[in-house]
Amino acid sequence: DGVTVLPAPQNLSVQSTNMKHLLTWSPVTVPGEIIYYFVEYQGEYESLYMSHIWIPSSWCSPTEGPECDITDDITATVPYKLRVRATLGSQTSAWSTLQHPFNRNSTTLTPPVMEVTKDGFHLVIKLEDLGPQFEFLVAYWRREPGAKEHVKVVRSRGIPVHLETMEPGAAYCVKVQTFVKAIRRHSPFSQAECVKVQGETLPL
Amino acid sequence: GQEFQFGPCRVEGVVLQELWEAFRAMKDIVQAKDNITSVRLLRKEVLQNVSDTESCYLIRALLKFYLNTVFKNSLDKAADSRIRKSFSTLANNFFVIASKLQPSQEKEMFSTSESARRRFLLFQRAFQQLDIQAAQTKAFGEVDILLTWMEKFYQ
Repeated sequence: DGVTVLPAPQNLSVQSTNMKHLLTWSPVTVPGEIIYYFVEYQGEYESLYMSHIWIPSSWCSPTEGPECDITDDITATVPYKLRVRATLGSQTSAWSTLQHPFNRNSTTLTPPVMEVTKDGFHLVIKLEDLGPQFEFLVAYWRREPGAKEHVKVVRSRGIPVHLETMEPGAAYCVKVQTFVKAIRRHSPFSQAECVKVQGETLPL
Repeated sequence: GQEFQFGPCRVEGVVLQELWEAFRAMKDIVQAKDNITSVRLLRKEVLQNVSDTESCYLIRALLKFYLNTVFKNSLDKAADSRIRKSFSTLANNFFVIASKLQPSQEKEMFSTSESARRRFLLFQRAFQQLDIQAAQTKAFGEVDILLTWMEKFYQ
């Protein structure tokens, strides 16, 4: 092991939104030098059954920037320990470990972006591609008193989906939320968007 | 969303696709190390015609065995980072499933649990007849057989 001279990275934290997980830390600086960082992780199984085993992160062993996309490393809904160390040539810092293990079920789920359009009399929706973990629950209704709300689960991503054949002169509204199977959680609903067969998209 | 339903035992929060992707990433490497091609641990008598009610007992026994015996020493030997990453995915998801399985302990279920135990013992005895390292390598390589069987209960 190289002589530990470098200070260990500080302020480790994870920002997670829509199942994309980013580990960040305060950079270690040595004037005129490039510092490389090594990130490793340990799932609950490793920490319970083989705590000496740490696994190098897919994208950050090594990395230059003070951040690491650990999304591909977090592949189970269990707590993960994460650690980082700095290196400069043969010099290595001590490991810094994330204070609280990270579990992907704490990710922030945001309402998805949607595009509601008309194709003739057809009400069509196009949803952003958030990756294979996501399903979409689309609610749509005809804008009139007592109208029934219809619900459709959409698993296809990034391609237009036909919701309803509209009646002339009627207005229809749509809202959508995501569902993530791996953590069994929904996002909040998006704002509703309405269209009228002859008119443009009407804000609520 | 999809989930496992092993008879009365329901397990949410595991994406089977993630397990398959993890195993496929290391399948060739792991199975190439298995030189004993004449033996199969998870043979038909272990997994065929398992009733729904029996399945919860059997899968729990198998997963615990994999977690405590098969996986436990495998990672040490896995120098290849692809294997380590795939191994971690499988082990942690097996850990999630095993921890959520609560098979009934009631007396009426004794014959069912006994039947599952006999099936598991077939697997365990076959494992114990091999050198421990060869047995771990073979069992590791048979995870696709296990996943294929588990897939029947994923809905």
